[in-house]
Amino acid sequence: MNIILFIQMVLAAIGAVFIYTLIGFIPGTDETSVLMPITLSVVLAGIPPIIVLTFFIAAIVTLNLTNAIPTALVGLPGGVMSSPMMEFSLFLKDKGLSPLVIKKMAAGSLIGVLVSLPTSLLLANFLSSYSERISTYAPLLFLIGSIFLALMGRNKILSLLSILPLSLLFMGLRYLYWGIGIVPEGTNVTVSFFLGITIGPLVLSLLSLLNKTKGQSMIRNEIKKIIIPKYIMVDTLNPFKIMTREEIKRACMAALIVNFLFVLSPVGLTILFGELAANRVQDPIDRANTAIATMASLTQSTYLSGIIIPLIAIGIPLSPIAIGPGAALFNAPPVFTINNNLHHILDKKELIIGIITGAVLAIGTTYFVASKFATNISTFVLKRIPHEAVLSLFISFILLLAYLDAGLINIFGVLLIGITSGTLNKMGVSYGVQFMTLYAAPWILEKFPY
Amino acid sequence: MGTNKEMVEIWGDIVEIRHLLISMAISNISTIGGLLLAPSNNEGKQLFFGLMGSLIGFVISALFIKPKRIVISKEG
Repeated sequence: MNIILFIQMVLAAIGAVFIYTLIGFIPGTDETSVLMPITLSVVLAGIPPIIVLTFFIAAIVTLNLTNAIPTALVGLPGGVMSSPMMEFSLFLKDKGLSPLVIKKMAAGSLIGVLVSLPTSLLLANFLSSYSERISTYAPLLFLIGSIFLALMGRNKILSLLSILPLSLLFMGLRYLYWGIGIVPEGTNVTVSFFLGITIGPLVLSLLSLLNKTKGQSMIRNEIKKIIIPKYIMVDTLNPFKIMTREEIKRACMAALIVNFLFVLSPVGLTILFGELAANRVQDPIDRANTAIATMASLTQSTYLSGIIIPLIAIGIPLSPIAIGPGAALFNAPPVFTINNNLHHILDKKELIIGIITGAVLAIGTTYFVASKFATNISTFVLKRIPHEAVLSLFISFILLLAYLDAGLINIFGVLLIGITSGTLNKMGVSYGVQFMTLYAAPWILEKFPY
Repeated sequence: MGTNKEMVEIWGDIVEIRHLLISMAISNISTIGGLLLAPSNNEGKQLFFGLMGSLIGFVISALFIKPKRIVISKEG
């Protein structure tokens, strides 16, 4: 490790903080669809692996905090992970407590990072002695993973039922591409299929516009009126003064526990433990504050443990975070493959340095920026960034990657995957099930008793 | 509000269909433009140029299309 590389890591972290602070304030942007494509392009651009890692860790830490802030400031969730906070944020916003809420979010996030970094690193270290044995079973584990996530999901039966048809869809397209010779035989088109799943819901709602009856139901006659309160945010930045002793205790406990549950859904864990921590508090304002602080801590620790443990211990994406937002760190051919990714390329020391640098820089900067400038950033994003441009950026991005992966025909292949995945998603088959199936598909069809 | 200015809610926010179509056209044209400028035998460069193209498209759209939100700053 030399000084120039370290400076590049710092720059990558700052870049991630800048990009994801802005993205975090955009209402409703799904974490997987904003983290995965950008990380993927960083990987494919040939950036050194340790810098990629620093970038990604800084990105998730920043995004988790900045996504939460719009719930308290303007009453819109910044992403999926902040939706559990909505109820409590809105309640406190009505009481005029938004500035305090934002600080509690920042302080809770800080605690989440500080607790889960050492915990998940230790846990990963412990698990890594089993890694060889675990990774020989990788394809089987993906199948077990998809069955497991299916059974945890909203629509269990459909999720289970969709595993085989989805495998057929993915492998069907791959065999077609091999057959017409657009992709060399044996090369599995993965990246653009993955993005197809990610943007499925978006594709589906865009296509619904073309259907007269469906389109009618999406029409809005009034635009949203968003009131941004002008708060003066100057006083203390000391987290121990922002949070009460009881809140700190609960935020720490929750962050600690979820590290051991890294294979479960981060949103699910945040709702479960956040509400568990808040339930026993009597006073409604205290209860909401405790919920916010704990959930802010939980979003950080579910994400960090979900990426750190699979990355350091196993090297295959065996958690909802690793298989979703972090997928590009594990599999982004030709740079990374399942058998040769960050886990294999970087040694343990480098992995730890990359992770700590990204997390510490991101939480340090974002903690300060969020506490001081939340109002200004939110105003800028809401006034200057049209949703049309955001949607178009995503679409052109997907088209580009689809084309580069397997030519013109793949644009329609990805569209097909988007329609299928979006429909299944709407009916309760989670991203996790679909991503795991994408990885398990070659093995499933190899073992299938035709 | 005329029918060609119909607004719909997609992905958690409101867009005007006409503006969405314009913006999609801008983004796609600039992305393809980037792709055409890149050397055709280098996939890394194709990706990079394409990405730059789509970013430029994003900036152009953001400059010319007004967000469909009424933002009011209020003394708290």
